[in-house]
Amino acid sequence: MQGYKLGEEASGAEKFGATLVKVFCVAFFVVLFLCFMVIPCINTISQIFTADKSDPWAVVKFFLAGNMPKYVLNSLLLAVCLTITVNVVGISIVLLTEYFDIKGAKILRLGYMTTLIYSGVALVTGYLFLYDHNGMLTTWLAKAFPGMNKRWFSGFGAVLFTMTFACTSNHALFLRNALRSIDYNTVEAARNLGAKPFKVLFRVVFPTLLPTLFSLTVMTFITGLCAMSAPTLLGYDSINPEIVRLAGSSVADEAFPQARAALLSVILAMFTIMLLTVLSSYERKGHYLSVSKTKAKLQKQKISNPVANVFAHIYAYVLFVIYMIPVVMIVVFSFQNYPAIRSKALNMSEWTLINYFGKQDYSYLTSAGKYRTRVGSISGVFSNADTLGGIRLSFILSAIAAALACVIVVVVVNYIFKHKGKKRSVFLEYCMLLPWLLPTVLICYSYRTFYNSSNWFSIGVAGNTLLDVNFNLYYKENVRFLIIMAYTVVKLPFAIRMIKAAFYAIDTELEDAARNLGASPLVTFLKVKLPIVLPSVLAVFALNFNALFTEYDMSATFASSYGRSYAMVIQNMTFEEGREGYNINASGRRNASTVFIMLVSGLILYLVYGVGARDLGDRLAIREKRRARLNKLLKPFKGKKKTEKQAA
Amino acid sequence: MIELRDIYVRFGSFEALHGINVDVKEGEFFTFLGPSGCGKTTTLRTITGFIQPSAGNVFVNNIDITNVPIEKRNIGIVFQSYALFPSMTVYNNIAFGLKLKKIPSGKTDRKGEDIQRHYTGREVDAKVREIAKRVDLTDDQLGKAVSQLSGGQQQRVAIARALVTDPAIICMDEPLSNLDAKLRVQLRNELKAMQKKFGITTIYVTHDQEEALTLSDRIAVFNKGYIEQIGTPNEIYNHSATEFVCNFIGDINPLTGDIAAKLRLGEGMNHFIRLERLRVNSPEESAMKLEGVIESVEYYGLYLKYFIDVNGQRLKAVEKNDGIAIYEPGQQVTLSMHPRDIMSYPAQA
Repeated sequence: MQGYKLGEEASGAEKFGATLVKVFCVAFFVVLFLCFMVIPCINTISQIFTADKSDPWAVVKFFLAGNMPKYVLNSLLLAVCLTITVNVVGISIVLLTEYFDIKGAKILRLGYMTTLIYSGVALVTGYLFLYDHNGMLTTWLAKAFPGMNKRWFSGFGAVLFTMTFACTSNHALFLRNALRSIDYNTVEAARNLGAKPFKVLFRVVFPTLLPTLFSLTVMTFITGLCAMSAPTLLGYDSINPEIVRLAGSSVADEAFPQARAALLSVILAMFTIMLLTVLSSYERKGHYLSVSKTKAKLQKQKISNPVANVFAHIYAYVLFVIYMIPVVMIVVFSFQNYPAIRSKALNMSEWTLINYFGKQDYSYLTSAGKYRTRVGSISGVFSNADTLGGIRLSFILSAIAAALACVIVVVVVNYIFKHKGKKRSVFLEYCMLLPWLLPTVLICYSYRTFYNSSNWFSIGVAGNTLLDVNFNLYYKENVRFLIIMAYTVVKLPFAIRMIKAAFYAIDTELEDAARNLGASPLVTFLKVKLPIVLPSVLAVFALNFNALFTEYDMSATFASSYGRSYAMVIQNMTFEEGREGYNINASGRRNASTVFIMLVSGLILYLVYGVGARDLGDRLAIREKRRARLNKLLKPFKGKKKTEKQAA
Repeated sequence: MIELRDIYVRFGSFEALHGINVDVKEGEFFTFLGPSGCGKTTTLRTITGFIQPSAGNVFVNNIDITNVPIEKRNIGIVFQSYALFPSMTVYNNIAFGLKLKKIPSGKTDRKGEDIQRHYTGREVDAKVREIAKRVDLTDDQLGKAVSQLSGGQQQRVAIARALVTDPAIICMDEPLSNLDAKLRVQLRNELKAMQKKFGITTIYVTHDQEEALTLSDRIAVFNKGYIEQIGTPNEIYNHSATEFVCNFIGDINPLTGDIAAKLRLGEGMNHFIRLERLRVNSPEESAMKLEGVIESVEYYGLYLKYFIDVNGQRLKAVEKNDGIAIYEPGQQVTLSMHPRDIMSYPAQA
């Protein structure tokens, strides 16, 4: 039996180090909460009432008297219609692939899930490639119906159509999981009690899906309300594009542009808070939980009525075509040269990689009748300075922000779990969830206006300045810091929900075991807890990076040439296509960019859900299999060597 | 070896332990037995240091360890869930504590105090392989993830991890509760054999009376934060000190009302008899006899359980299955018993 040393005291250096870390953490979270969540947003709200010194309600009155409510109503209309259409299409694709027995369901599922790797600006530009005034489908239709309006794909209808098919990703993931978790015995029980298939669907299956559907509906409503890229690209007067326009406008052109932008942001935040409150109170009421101890796997239901069966198959494949055509066309045309892309006519005899790599000169006939050559006017994604700059900037900013969000959240969640039930940990958690209530555009707009000041504060004595804090964060490259902070803050709520769930999976006995074996809290965290939550942390990092890499709304709100993200570059790519011999293959490069985004997203999803989901056992089993395979391959050579040695 | 003196544990206004006193001898297999929420795990966690007692002291070899940090108590623990680190291989699970442990280096510093050092890589490896061998884990299994092992193998890893640092005591908190019945019996035997092999003082927590009776040298029966009785399995079963112990251990027949009157049992007391002490149609002479009718029979293979109606009261009796004397429902039988087998306790208000 070893001798015991009672209550060994930590050394002075250790104590000082621990205090220093604590002070740094507290200071960091205070600055993060106050300077990047609360104060800029309060500043935005105050702008509404301080824009006109004589009347605090001037902006509100001006807002109500003018055409501003139109933007709010338009956004509301889009949100309401979107919840209906997205739910119809979302529920359809899940039922068609998971519940009903439809031939080719696996292929259909792949098609319906393309929006997971292809969304935002990339998706909208893909739809434009097909449907805009010189789009492929429009060109074909115009040939068939010469009198048709070639600019038919714009405004409310186009935005609704595009967003309907862009916003079903959540249904494809979460509703599918909810449906698959239904106990098939309940379906069989209902059938046994005399219910017909559709009665079973509506009375047994749907009620268990309602909580998920309600959450999805609220999230879709918020997405519709905060829509940015589709209304901007397809021309629809909704709140977010108007905020960006007003934020960049000047008092010389119109009355209270910044204050009106602030008011719109606040209205958006109020709607978001209201909806999320409804959602959380609904979630608190509880769900229909399966009480069965042995769940049976859901089996696909055959549609017995032949007419209904044919109709269901036709409907499934029409949806598949709508989902797949833009993707296929973009991939195919990214390997075509610029004349083929311009004319939207596939040239089967000529395929090129110029939209991805390399540069070419372009010769054209001027109005003076002379040929001129524009050097390097045809360039690929990885050879074009602008595009490459966008990719580089988005990559760096997204990676830093995604990593920062993960580090902050891991530290916070570890603290929350260590001080479970204490007021300070509850407060900290709510602080981290606060950005969920604030629309991204409000956060970005608030940073843009709050930090766009050249003089923060100065301290002086008798006319002599002692301390003059004088830097503008919304100036040149500084804006990139603001973008990183905005990206980080916006991703905190998602990260905290996911990583907190991962921490719940840690058995408290593991921590006790580590302590019993002599591990300090830091060693326990690094060697026991972190490896367990690491797959989830990496998944959150990858998903956040994926979303930020192609994000458009936030960088567009900052509207700075020093913060031109990849999505902004893609959006601008075809604006000056071909003019004066510049950017000849801009459309092709845009297609190649979209393919590149799909590859990056696909790779990340594979790493997260494929490789990242494996536990140590799976990894060791795979390693073992590989070793066995290698040994089998090397066996003849080893045998040969042995024989040679023996012969020698 | 281990001594608990007047241990009180309070969680806010709730008192979980009300003055626990236990003395565990060296090399003993000592079990804390009781229903859920009786305080057995709280007592174990007080010994291991996860819970600081509100009052009282914990002694190990006459040294007061009440305020010694968990990691310095030199007590190995096998947790209910085994608490094996899922991100580590079996080898690294066992080596985890060794890599952190400091041992005297044999040198002293200027002040004359021992300089401590960690185990070298070779020492760690040797110790891990040695303990793995002793608990029957192969080299191949050492390279596996814990999720690739069976329940029994996982238990052996947990024991190896707890023993590899040479603890003075090993504590086990219901390590068999998550297993199915067959495996539980198999591992129970392995556990007992392993404890005898290592000769280490073991404190075992369980709510399963059969497990406690088969494994333990001595048992402490807990109830509502008190210890009702400490004794050998025989003492606990055959000479239950309290009505609670009598009822909690094994199945029991209460002898009340007409039956108690007919048997002329003392008033103001509660009387009980164990099932196997109630004989059905026994040829032996007995002063205490009851007439009854077989109500139903449960067939257990090795033995039979009879439910007998005696004057409107139901008694249970267990008889060896000899394949000859098997009674059918409706059959009239005579029940006999020996006065020494009747356990009587003062009736409580």
